[in-house]
Amino acid sequence: MRHEQDEFADFYRASRDSCLKAVTAVTGDRQVAEELLAEAFTRAWMSWGKVRRHAAPRAWVVRTALNLGVSWWRRRRREVPLADHDAAAPAALGGGVDPALLAALRRLPARQREVLALRIFLDLDTETTAKVIGIAPGTVMAHLSRAMAALRRDLPPAKTNTSTTEVIR
Amino acid sequence: MNYQNDIMCHVRESFSGLRMDVPVENLFAASRVRRRRRLSGLTAAAAAAAGTAVAMTLTLGGPAPARSGNPPPRGTGTVRLAAFSVTDGPGDSTTLTLHKGPRYPRLDASALREALARHRIPALVTVGTFCRSAPGANGFDQVVHPSTLADGSDVIVINGQAMPPGTRLSIGLFPRYTRMLLITDGARLTCGSTSRQPAVHITPTGTPIRGSQNGSRK
Repeated sequence: MRHEQDEFADFYRASRDSCLKAVTAVTGDRQVAEELLAEAFTRAWMSWGKVRRHAAPRAWVVRTALNLGVSWWRRRRREVPLADHDAAAPAALGGGVDPALLAALRRLPARQREVLALRIFLDLDTETTAKVIGIAPGTVMAHLSRAMAALRRDLPPAKTNTSTTEVIR
Repeated sequence: MNYQNDIMCHVRESFSGLRMDVPVENLFAASRVRRRRRLSGLTAAAAAAAGTAVAMTLTLGGPAPARSGNPPPRGTGTVRLAAFSVTDGPGDSTTLTLHKGPRYPRLDASALREALARHRIPALVTVGTFCRSAPGANGFDQVVHPSTLADGSDVIVINGQAMPPGTRLSIGLFPRYTRMLLITDGARLTCGSTSRQPAVHITPTGTPIRGSQNGSRK
């Protein structure tokens, strides 16, 4: 048990930040993302015997958090907004992330955001991304391509003009 | 394709400052509570109905974790880390304890509101903001008796039977203090994150960190 705890703790420490980035990119709200992830990681620990053998445990956690997010948003929609309520500033939602980028991500369809997040922050290849989401690899490529094209349109050129040797797999 | 690499790089860099600061011990603690609850054979809802003290560590309704190693299905409940408890007593009153600590900022305001409702205490629970009504409602002193423990936790004894008809308790949760007031149902509400309001100020002031609202005006 102690060994498993240590193993999970190592996994958590190594994965939590990248998972947080991925879920924040999809939800657009850092606070919500952290809450969803705390729950998802708790479930991962409770099923650690299975999750540790998963092809991509971090993706399991992110996917679980995003599934939980669906019910979170459903519940949220049922709540009645109040007049004069202090809404959180958009800049605060992303925890310091460029608001223009967050807004551009928010305009993407959810599936495109999810593909983007898994590819960029969890560094999953097309095949694994497809398995995790449950769609065909070709569809992953199509979502990614459309997401990139949309971001290219939405973001100022200076913000995307960085040099890199990275290759999309 | 080079623009795709640029965009990926830009996105990655933009998110580079995000850090998750929930200690792993919190996750272990949450899972221990859940396992104990499961072993007891009680759902939290049944426990509440039986008048049992309910440590509100969970938002109810979550199924058992997936057994196949696959993610659980959509529509499962969200579980939050422990931040409060609602218990019967003393006498006919209800005691709300707000446990301060690392879990407190993640307090599930909806779960708190529902827990109070199960004790027949209608409430509007807000996080990072506080709501009052115009007109207000009298009788607060007969309803709420707050105190603070040595560890900073707020213990609030609420006499629900003393609440005037057509009123509810407005509870504003802030990182280091709690504000409470009786409000009138159906009246116009004004919400804000400042302290310019006639409310009980239980502990010294702090700076609000977020402004989500999880109560409902009924």
